[in-house]
Amino acid sequence: MAAIGISNSAPLNGGQKLAMKYFTVAIALFGAQVLFGLLAGIQYLNPDFLFGILDFSVNRMLHINAMVVWLLFGFIGSVYWLLEDESGVPVVGLGLGNLTFWVFTLAVVVVVLVYLLVQVGPGELQSIWLINEGREYIEAPRWADIGIVVCVLVFFFNVAATFSKGKFTNIGGVLVMDLVALAGLYLAGMWYTPNISMDQHWWWWVIHLWVEATWEVLVGCLMAYGLIKTMGVRRKIVETWLYIEVALMFGSGILGLGHHYFWIGTPEYWFTIGGFFSALEPIPLVAMVVHAVFDAGTHKVKSTNNPALAWIIAQAFGNFFGAGVWGFMHTLPQINLYTHGTQWTASHGHLAFFGAYVTMVIAFMYIAIQKWRGDVYMSGNLVGAWKWKWALFLLHAGMITMTMALLISGYEQSQIERAIGGSTWMAYFEAQGHVWFMQGMLWRQIGGWIFAAGFVLLAWDLLTIGKRETRPALKVQGE
Amino acid sequence: MLEPVLLANFFIVFFSAASVILFGASYALLFAWSRVRSRPRLMPLAYAAYGGLVISVLTLAFHANLFNNNFWTFIVMLMLVGYLVAPHAIWHLCVGTHEDAHEDEANPIKVYQQR
Repeated sequence: MAAIGISNSAPLNGGQKLAMKYFTVAIALFGAQVLFGLLAGIQYLNPDFLFGILDFSVNRMLHINAMVVWLLFGFIGSVYWLLEDESGVPVVGLGLGNLTFWVFTLAVVVVVLVYLLVQVGPGELQSIWLINEGREYIEAPRWADIGIVVCVLVFFFNVAATFSKGKFTNIGGVLVMDLVALAGLYLAGMWYTPNISMDQHWWWWVIHLWVEATWEVLVGCLMAYGLIKTMGVRRKIVETWLYIEVALMFGSGILGLGHHYFWIGTPEYWFTIGGFFSALEPIPLVAMVVHAVFDAGTHKVKSTNNPALAWIIAQAFGNFFGAGVWGFMHTLPQINLYTHGTQWTASHGHLAFFGAYVTMVIAFMYIAIQKWRGDVYMSGNLVGAWKWKWALFLLHAGMITMTMALLISGYEQSQIERAIGGSTWMAYFEAQGHVWFMQGMLWRQIGGWIFAAGFVLLAWDLLTIGKRETRPALKVQGE
Repeated sequence: MLEPVLLANFFIVFFSAASVILFGASYALLFAWSRVRSRPRLMPLAYAAYGGLVISVLTLAFHANLFNNNFWTFIVMLMLVGYLVAPHAIWHLCVGTHEDAHEDEANPIKVYQQR
């Protein structure tokens, strides 16, 4: 048995060792996301800052790309973490999985270096393949696009083959089906058409169906496993609810994404479809409230891993407010006409991504760290618990400050730029220079610094939590 | 088919839309809490929250010009019915998915300290 509190990979299975590598890169990229976000935020306040050295367009691109990639690393790591545990057999093709990890990581480093070293230049066929594809949020050059698909296919092979060889649990079944979509939908963003509306249509498939739909189901699988491991919730219950979530997703979620088709030149019937399902999209969230209360009332909450459970709870609230409240405020086309693409969208995006995805990956990192430190005690009265609590508080305080500040700036933009100015180029600059917009940007920057402090504390805590503990972890009976 | 919101109504539209979700959550929360704790006195509060939701939906619909079109009016009605029924339906699902737990009460899952 491993020594308690000492970091040691020996008790981890093959998939979990690979997961630790993914988590390490994920947290480094999370730091990069925060850093480039801070730099881009400063450039809103002082446009001359780093001009010609590290332009705003590059900072913003790195901020968003780092987020997409670190969350992808976090999700892949989380799945490798649970894979052997769920299937009951060693990961099939683990060597290939390890090789893919190094290729993927190297590719990310090369892409970032190229972004930084070649910031300006002509856009041509060669630059699309080698430097920057030029599509917002998925700027990775074509060679990296192909690499991402190959890596995800290897990941899919590892997962599907392992479950096929071992037990195919319900979590495993949903996961495998979701990974088919995860690999498949990314392809939609890899081909061109000269028609800008058609191009935007397929591009949205990657941005919204890939990120919002397939990631959401993936998070549902991780949540199910996390609840079994941290609270001992019965497998049958969480798996039933996983199926309900998938059914709701197909019922209202996918067509609800039609609200992203409002203004990109798609046919008018998307107003009808997008508006209809967007109006119904929050109803499942209300349903989840009922289920959460039911569970809290019928089970006594006691967990084997308090930091992980706290982040899982944060996920439920973050998803509700970020996706539910902030989304519905401006989802109907009658008002989305004015808010789409303003800082209002950024406000919604920040809170929704943090609430729905970041929280779950962090929860899994705490689950992993616990076992890595010899199955150390991480429940009530944990030694040094202030660090994870303060990290949780600062990250949330920073995120809420940023969200509210961006909301104010977005509100101002939707009025002055869109409603009064009629979305002209002049109106855009008039709104950008308005005192409300600038005050919002200042407060967003303050929120960014608070968030960065929370990130530093989180990284420190992940490196040290459980180090001074001598007690073994609480155990779920029957585990 | 679309009648954009008037500038003067921006704030009220955002505020009422947010209120729809918050009142909806309050209704669901109080409804479930009343049932799970067997406190029927909380149920009127749950329906008061639903009343707040109705007012929010109607305010949103009026200021977002939804009543000027049959399709959007239908959506408003569907939202009101959906929010009313969803907590009841999910409650039945909760009871159904947890009913086997009663059989396990003699041998409940425990979280315990390892030696």
